[in-house]
Amino acid sequence: MSEYKKVCFMYRHKDYTIDGMRSALGLAVENMYAYGAVLGHEMDTLNEDQQEALEMLRDMEGEIYSTETVNCEKNGVESITIEELGEKLREMTNIIPYGIK
Amino acid sequence: MKILNVYRSAPDDTTKKLVEIVTRDRDSDSVDLSGDSPDYDALVDKIYDADQTICWW
Amino acid sequence: MAKSLGIFVTNPDNWRHVMGITKAAKAKGSKVKVFFTWSGTKCAKLDEFPALCELADDVSICADSYKKMGYEVTDVPAGLTEKEMGTQAQHGAILEDYECYINL
Repeated sequence: MSEYKKVCFMYRHKDYTIDGMRSALGLAVENMYAYGAVLGHEMDTLNEDQQEALEMLRDMEGEIYSTETVNCEKNGVESITIEELGEKLREMTNIIPYGIK
Repeated sequence: MKILNVYRSAPDDTTKKLVEIVTRDRDSDSVDLSGDSPDYDALVDKIYDADQTICWW
Repeated sequence: MAKSLGIFVTNPDNWRHVMGITKAAKAKGSKVKVFFTWSGTKCAKLDEFPALCELADDVSICADSYKKMGYEVTDVPAGLTEKEMGTQAQHGAILEDYECYINL
């Protein structure tokens, strides 16, 4: 396993998703591989600052995924199935179900 | 690799599926935190015994 | 020697678990750090919050989240100091420096 932490947040409630993405970015700037997965709900449309934060996360080799096509279409996050996410989680040093469901 | 799954509420299908994949071919244990009087002493022992703790919703 | 434990809190409904786990870990002689973010920062307004600050070795909250929850950042919760009104770097410190981790 890499010497760097690999952390994946998972968001299941709309009110927690955008801020949870900020938490992922916060770890990326601390030299960790940080990912987020939006599960089972439609996110708000990202504003300019939030899109910029997503780009910063990607610049640091992080990513935001979603199981919902609508989020991929409106916010440009990466599509993922639950099975693919599960496999990805196996590579993580820390798995963080964020907020409430 | 030993995984400790902690549940704050009854796991639904999404959680069950993720737990199934994450724990596949790995040692795992679980704790239910949804009751009135969780045994925190036992929980902390299990956290210390695990390589990774995941506290599900 | 008991392991060290970091607790990351995003949901205020988990307050009883934060206290329960911190008490149990401290009783074992562990070093405990707790960081509250997003709506977890509402816990800083609970009557029991100063007791957690006494009990744990290090408690901090995300100042930006606290502000978004409607509080003034200058209104430092009882039990904390201004420097413990932190950033997500505190979460990073938990992941890097503590042997065990739980999110609540």
